[in-house]
Amino acid sequence: MNSTAATSVSSTLLPLFAILTSSLSTLENTFYKIPGSQVVARYVKSSHQNDPGRTVLELILVLFAIRTLLKSRTRTDRTGKHFISFSEKEIDELVDEWTPEPLAQPLSEWEQHDLSAVSVVQGANGPRPKLVSGKTVLNLASFNFTGLAGNEAIKERAIETLRKYGLGSCGPPGFYGTIDVHMDFERDVADFLGTEAAILYSQGFSTISSVIPAFCKRGDIIVADRGVNFTIQKGIQISRSTVRWYDHNDLKSLEEVLESVEKERKKRRGPLTRRFIVTEGIFEKDGKMVDLPKLIELKLKYKYRLVLDESFSFGTVGRTGRGLTELYNVPASQVDMLVGSIANGLASCGGFCAGSQVVVDHQRINGTSFVFSASMPALLAVSASEGISILRNQPSILTTLQENVRAVHGVLASIVGTLILIPSHSASPIIHITSKPQSHSSLSPTAIPLSVSSSISGKSNPTSIIPSPSSPSYSVAEQIFDADAEERVLQEIVEECLAQGVWVTRAKRLKGQEMVERKPSIRLAISAALTRKEVEKAAGVVKAACVKVLGKRK
Amino acid sequence: MALSPPSPTPSIFKKKSNNSLSPMPSAASYLSAVSQADARARGHGATPTSTPALSLSSSVTSSSEDTVLDESEDNTDGLLHPSKPPTSEQVFTTVHAEFGHCANEEYRYTSKHDPNTALDHVDIDPPYYILLSTYVSYLLLIVIGHMRDFFGKSFRPSSYKHLMPHDGYAPMNSDFDSFYTRRLKLRIDDCFSQPVTGVAGRTIVILNRTTSNYNVTLEFTGNKTRTLNISSYNYLGFAQARGGCADAVEEVIKRYGVATCGTRLDSGTTDLHVAAEALVAKFVGMEDALISSMGFATNSTFIPALVGKGCLVISDEFNHASIRIGVRFSGASVRMFKHNDMGSLETLLREVISQGQPRTHRPWKKILIIVEGLYSMEGTLVNLPGIVALKKKYKFHLFVDEAHSIGAIGPHGRGVCDYFNISPRDIDVLMGTFTKSFGAAGGYVAGNKTLIDALRLRGHSGTYAEAMTLPVLTQIVASMASIMGITPSAAPIKGALTLNPSNSSSTIRASDVLEEYQHPGPAPASALPPWMNLPPHLRDGSEGRSRLRRLAFNSRYLARALKKLGFITYGHPSSPIVPLLIFNPGKLPMFHRMMKDRATPIVVVVVAYPATPLISGRVRFCLSAAHTKEDVDVVLKACDEIGDILDLKHGAGERWPLEEIINRSTELVNQ
Repeated sequence: MNSTAATSVSSTLLPLFAILTSSLSTLENTFYKIPGSQVVARYVKSSHQNDPGRTVLELILVLFAIRTLLKSRTRTDRTGKHFISFSEKEIDELVDEWTPEPLAQPLSEWEQHDLSAVSVVQGANGPRPKLVSGKTVLNLASFNFTGLAGNEAIKERAIETLRKYGLGSCGPPGFYGTIDVHMDFERDVADFLGTEAAILYSQGFSTISSVIPAFCKRGDIIVADRGVNFTIQKGIQISRSTVRWYDHNDLKSLEEVLESVEKERKKRRGPLTRRFIVTEGIFEKDGKMVDLPKLIELKLKYKYRLVLDESFSFGTVGRTGRGLTELYNVPASQVDMLVGSIANGLASCGGFCAGSQVVVDHQRINGTSFVFSASMPALLAVSASEGISILRNQPSILTTLQENVRAVHGVLASIVGTLILIPSHSASPIIHITSKPQSHSSLSPTAIPLSVSSSISGKSNPTSIIPSPSSPSYSVAEQIFDADAEERVLQEIVEECLAQGVWVTRAKRLKGQEMVERKPSIRLAISAALTRKEVEKAAGVVKAACVKVLGKRK
Repeated sequence: MALSPPSPTPSIFKKKSNNSLSPMPSAASYLSAVSQADARARGHGATPTSTPALSLSSSVTSSSEDTVLDESEDNTDGLLHPSKPPTSEQVFTTVHAEFGHCANEEYRYTSKHDPNTALDHVDIDPPYYILLSTYVSYLLLIVIGHMRDFFGKSFRPSSYKHLMPHDGYAPMNSDFDSFYTRRLKLRIDDCFSQPVTGVAGRTIVILNRTTSNYNVTLEFTGNKTRTLNISSYNYLGFAQARGGCADAVEEVIKRYGVATCGTRLDSGTTDLHVAAEALVAKFVGMEDALISSMGFATNSTFIPALVGKGCLVISDEFNHASIRIGVRFSGASVRMFKHNDMGSLETLLREVISQGQPRTHRPWKKILIIVEGLYSMEGTLVNLPGIVALKKKYKFHLFVDEAHSIGAIGPHGRGVCDYFNISPRDIDVLMGTFTKSFGAAGGYVAGNKTLIDALRLRGHSGTYAEAMTLPVLTQIVASMASIMGITPSAAPIKGALTLNPSNSSSTIRASDVLEEYQHPGPAPASALPPWMNLPPHLRDGSEGRSRLRRLAFNSRYLARALKKLGFITYGHPSSPIVPLLIFNPGKLPMFHRMMKDRATPIVVVVVAYPATPLISGRVRFCLSAAHTKEDVDVVLKACDEIGDILDLKHGAGERWPLEEIINRSTELVNQ
C-alpha cells in the first residue's frame, strides 16, 4: 500500500524532478560559460572538501551582507528595542492627543522693551547720524572704526561698479558667481596682510563658523579660549572635534592645556591628528587683546595650527590697520587661518580668511558658507578694495583712531575702579564697560554658578568651558553677577547717554544660547571720523551717565 | 605657515606670490615686503580720487577702463543686439545684452497651478547600458585615481606633501577625504568656478582660461567671451546695470553711502531696513518679516531660534545645505523623508508622534517640517496642498524655504502660496532670498508678529551679524515694488481691489478682510522712501507683470521642448530650473565645452555627485525673464545637436523635430 502510494507520488513528482535537473544542468552550463567560473567552482569544491563548516560560515556571511545591503538606509529603528508598536487606532489617538508648543514664545516685557529701545538711524549711518526720533547724536555705537562710512571715494567707486556689474551676483562662486572684482579683493587683502592668498565670504559673521568646520573634523583637537565669541562657539560645535578650553586670554593656561594634550596623546599613542588653537585677536566679548608673539611661539613649539579671528583687530590696530600681525610685527603668514571682517574693518559687508594657497583652496570646496551661498555683490567687494587702498595711503586714520581710544580711556580713568571696570586693552577700539560689583556680602549666594562650586581642584577642567573659581585668571568680580539687574542698570546708562546726545549700546547677547553667560557690559565703538573734542565730549557724557546711574546704586 | 615650504601647487597668482611674498624668514624681511607692497600699490596710482585699476587679473592684458565691457565683439551672433530690429512703436529702455528685447505678446504665459499636473518627483531611468556605463566610468575613475595616488606617492612625493604628515603636523586634508576633489573633480575643473565680469544678465562675459597641466592651474588667456547666460539665478532679469532699480541704487549710494556699520540690534538699523521689512511682509502676505544680510545665514542663524533640544525637524532629503547647517546649530533631532513624497512623510509623522522622543518616549516639544518651495537641483515644486492638508491633521509647524520660488513662481510672483492659491497664513514660516529673483543679496523670514519679534531678538543674526547694506536694500525695495506695482497712497484698499479683482474673492479669508492690505496686492506708496523715483512702467507694475509672464513662458517652453526633443528632464513644467539628465560623468564636461565653443557660446552649469545622486549627473538650465524666445531657440538648437553627438536622447513619449518645436512654441507652452 505504502509503496504503491510512494511510487504514485514519485511518479507525479517525476516530471518535476526532470525539470529541476534539466534547469540545474542549463544553469551549470551557463555558469561554466562565464570566464573564470571554473576557478571559482574549483575553489568552492576544494574548500568544502577540506572544511564543510567553512562553507556554512561563508554562506551565512553572504546572506548577512545581502541583508545589510537591502536594509533601509533611514534611521527607522522599527526593530530597535525602544520601538513600541501601536495599532493604527492608537496612533490616531496619540496624534489627537499631541499638542505642540507654539513655534515661538512671546517676548517678555523686558525683551519687548529691549527690542523697542533699539535706535533706528534716519538715512545714512556715520559719526554723527540722525536718528528717527529726530535727534542728531555722536556715535559711539556703530562699527565705523576707520571712518570709511560715507567716504566719497568709496561712493564713487561703488557707483562706477554698479554701472558695470549691476548689483547682485546671481549665483554661488562655483556657478558663474566668481566675479573678477572678487578675485581682485582677495588679491588685495592677501597683499595687504602679506599672505599667499585669501578667500572672500559674503558675511562676516558666517565666516569663521564655516572656516573652523572646513578644517577641523571628528577626532581633531581644538584648543580654544574660554572667552571666544558666539560664532566661534558655533563653529566648534558643528566641527565635532575634541575641544579643550584654556582660561580667557591666559597663555600660561594655554601652555598647560597644550602640555596635557601632548601627554595624553603620548600615553594613548594615537595617530597624529590635526590640532588647532582657536582664539581672537581682540575679543568681541570684552576687548582684551591676545599676546600674539607668545601665542605664535606656543603654536610653533607644540605644532598646532592657529585660527585667529581678527574681526575686531583687522582695520583697527597696527600702523595701517593690518591688525595684530602689524602691531606685533609678526608675519601674517605665521597665522595659519587669519579671519577678518570686512564689515567692521572696512565698513562694507562680508568676511575673509587669509592664509596659504592650500588653506584657501581647501575652503573653496569645503567652506560651507562659501560654497553654498551666493557670492558678494560686486560693488561691496570694490568698496572693500577701495577701503584697503585708503588705509594703505592714509596711516593717519589709524593714528587718529588710536588717539581717540586713548582720549576715551583718559576721560573714563577717574571712575575706573570706583564705579566701573574696563576689561578692554588700551589699544582696542571697542571698549567694554562693566559696573564694578558692590561689596560681596550683598550678593546672594545663589548667584554663584553651580558648576563652579563643583570643581575642587585649583586648575580649571579643560574639557569644560566654565573656569574653576580658584584658577588664577578667575576673578570673582567678573564672574558673579545678576545678569537681569545688571542689564537694566546698563540700559538706564544707555538711555541717559542718548538723552544727552551720545549713542552707545549695551553689548547684546543671546541669552540661553551662549555656552557661558557673560557679565553684561556697555560697548563703546570708537571711530576715527570723530574729532578729539567730540570723542572727549562723548566720553564725558558716558562718564556722567555712569556716575548718575551707578552712583545712585550705592 | 612659515615653516612649511611654499605650496607645491603653483597658484593662479603665481607671479605675485613668487616675487614678493613666499619665503618670509624673519619679521624684518616681512615688514619690508609689506612696505614694498604699499609702495607698489601707491605706484599704481591707486589714490582714492583717481580711478584705480579694475583689472581682471594680473595676467590679463591691460585694457582701458571704459572698454572693459564694450570691446569690439563679433555682433553677428545677436548677443549684443536683437536679431530683429525693434519697430518704431516698440521702445526699449534696457540694454539688450542685459535684458533681451521681446515685444511679441504671444510669448507670455501665466504661472498658475493646474490641478492635473502631478507634483510627485519621478526618477526616469535611462536605458540599462547608460546606467552600466555610468557605473563603470566611475569605477574606472576611482581605480585610476587610486593607482595614480599609489605611484605618485612613491615617485613624486613632493606633490603629496600637503597630504602627508610633515614636521609633526598632521596633513591639512587627508588624502582619502580629498580623493574625490583631486582625482575626479580636478579633471573637469574648467567647468566650475568660471570667473566672469560684468552683469550676470541675459548674457555674461566670461574670462577665458586655459591650462597646460590638466587643470592643476588654470591661467587666464586675457581674452573675454560674451556668452548666452542660462546659468545665473536671475529669474526676473533684475540683474541690470541700467534701468530704474540701478538708478535708485545709485541715488542711495550718493545720499547715504554703502555701509550700515553694525548689527541690527546694536547700531545698524536704519529706517530703510524697517521700510523694506514692511514691504517684504506685504509682498509675501505675512504679518511681519525680517531681513538678514546673507541668504545662507538666514537659514543657518534663524532655524536655531525656532527649534532646540527636544524638538524634531523633519526635512526633505534634498533640502539645501544651509538648512542642514541651521538644524545642526540648533541641536534638534532630525528625520528625513523621501523627496516630495507625501506618503513617506505621513508614515514618518505617524511614527514620530506616536513614538515620541527616542528612548524617553516623551512627546516632542515641537515638530517643524522644513521644505523648499522649488528645489534647485531637481526643479520640483513642493507638494504644498498635500503638506498643508497633513498640517491640519498632525499639527506640526511648517517652514517653507522659498529661496528659488519667491518671485519666480505664481501669477503675482509671490511664490508657491500664490501658485497653489493657498493663503500664506496657513504656513508658519516663509523664508526666502533676494539673490535670485530680485537681483540683490540676502534673505528674509516672514511670519506672524510674535514669531518675527522673537526671531529678531533670539536669532543669531540680529545680535551678531552685520546688517544689510543700503544699496542692497534699495535694490530689494525697488525691484519688489515694481513687481507689486505701487498704489497711489490715497486709497490703498480700493486700489488693491481694482487691480486684482480676480484674486480678492478667492484667496482672501474673512479674517484678512478687516486688514488694510489685501494679498496679493500692490505696494503702498508709503513703503518707498520719498527720494526713490521709479519710472512709470515700474511704478504701475506693468513691467513686473511682463517679466513674470515672460519667465513663465520661457520656463515652460524650454522644459516642454526638451522633452519633445527626446531628452530626459526632471522637474515641474512651471519651474524656471530645468535639469537635463546626462548620466555619464564623461559627457558632463563634453556637454559644457561643446556649449561654450559654439558660434553663439552658451554657458551652462553641470552638476554631478555629490550634489546629485551618483548616476544622475545633469546639466541645469536656469531661465530668466531676460531671455527672449529666440534665446531659448538657440539653446534648443544647441542641445539638439549636442544631444545627438553625445547620445543623450533617451526620453519616452512623442518626439517633434526641432523646426516644428520652434514654430509651434506657443502651442507647446499652452497645451
